Amino acid sequence: MDSRRASFEALALPHMDSAYSLARWLSRSPTDADDIVQEAMLRAFRAFDGVRVETVKPWLLAIVRNCFRDHAVRAGRTQPIDDDHVRTLAFDGPDPESEAAWASERRRLDEILARLPPDFREVLILREMEEMSYREIAEAIGAPVGTVMSRLARARGLLKEHWNE
Amino acid sequence: MSDAPVPNADSPCPEIELTSAFLDGELTEADAAGAEAHIAACAECQAFVAVAADVSEAMRRPSARLKAPPLLRARIRRRLDSEASVRPARAGFLWGALSGAGVSAAAAAFIAVLMLPPAPESLAGAVTDAHIHALSAGRTIEVVSSSHHTVKPWFAGRAPLSPPVAEFAAQGFPLVGGRVDRVLGQKAAVVVYGHGKHEIDLFVWADRGAALPASGVRLGYHTVFWKNADLDFAAVSDVAPDELSQFVRLVQAEPE
Repeated sequence: MDSRRASFEALALPHMDSAYSLARWLSRSPTDADDIVQEAMLRAFRAFDGVRVETVKPWLLAIVRNCFRDHAVRAGRTQPIDDDHVRTLAFDGPDPESEAAWASERRRLDEILARLPPDFREVLILREMEEMSYREIAEAIGAPVGTVMSRLARARGLLKEHWNE
Repeated sequence: MSDAPVPNADSPCPEIELTSAFLDGELTEADAAGAEAHIAACAECQAFVAVAADVSEAMRRPSARLKAPPLLRARIRRRLDSEASVRPARAGFLWGALSGAGVSAAAAAFIAVLMLPPAPESLAGAVTDAHIHALSAGRTIEVVSSSHHTVKPWFAGRAPLSPPVAEFAAQGFPLVGGRVDRVLGQKAAVVVYGHGKHEIDLFVWADRGAALPASGVRLGYHTVFWKNADLDFAAVSDVAPDELSQFVRLVQAEPE
């Protein structure tokens, strides 16, 4: 294994689950998520030289997010999240019983998050699922920290309307 | 992307952004105290906090985390391997091309330019160069010792700073010695550690207030930069990157 491949393995590939989870929640589709993550990992590998070790995760998730947007544009969907494209988020769980429960929890969450505009969804996903700081999120979405702060506040404000329906 | 189209009508409290940032632990202590006092008095922010907490709880459940399927992982690793093998290490590829029979003069000149060592225009390049230069000249160590009682005093009067020197033999990184080197014209203390058959150079120099370059890999050597107090640090080695990270964590955990 050459050294670039080895350092990519050690520094970037540990974030593969985060990349996949983000792609899956953004695209709401297992097949799209596969394509997005594969494309993102190859793009990341080609651009890997000189990335700061401590910012690998936001850097990688920024690429995943851009691949998702490119993918959505190619698929002719400028608003990738809309109710016509609601698909189930069924997934392998630890056992069939909790799998069914998990799948229904995920579906409910997916349906609620789907009502948020994409710009607000993505900051909420990065914050709550990836537990990233405002600075890391700012890096991942290429916007100032103040924008991250206001989008999160508005995302939560919007969810207030739907949460207890 | 514009934030304009979504009305903010359901959150008219002007403090809502501070309340939200407070929940994320993103406020300074003083601002956090102010936000907390505001929430205690504002019914609207209290309702906001209740929903935000529910949302957070739901989104952090293990059921929400999705893992990359093993087949996808395997496919990506295979693609990366083939990508890496069609782009071999630069030097090897170029030497191969040079030894080929039909290399034109222009191509040879082009290759010769690429083969020149990179100008140390950046700190990153300079540190890697200093490391490689010391290795190839066989003079990475001017004082040989596995005891910090010998290495640390040796720097006094030789380097313009006293670098932290510790013994990590038990963790697999024995102290080997030290030298004084130059990085972009500035004197640096270099504490040398071993790891198996590899060597790790820990460069330490006085902080010049400049931002440090990206940690990463150059010419096959991994470099990690960080600052501590008024000193700048760079660890350079050809050990595996996770081993270098382990070493860096040890150094950073040393009190001094």
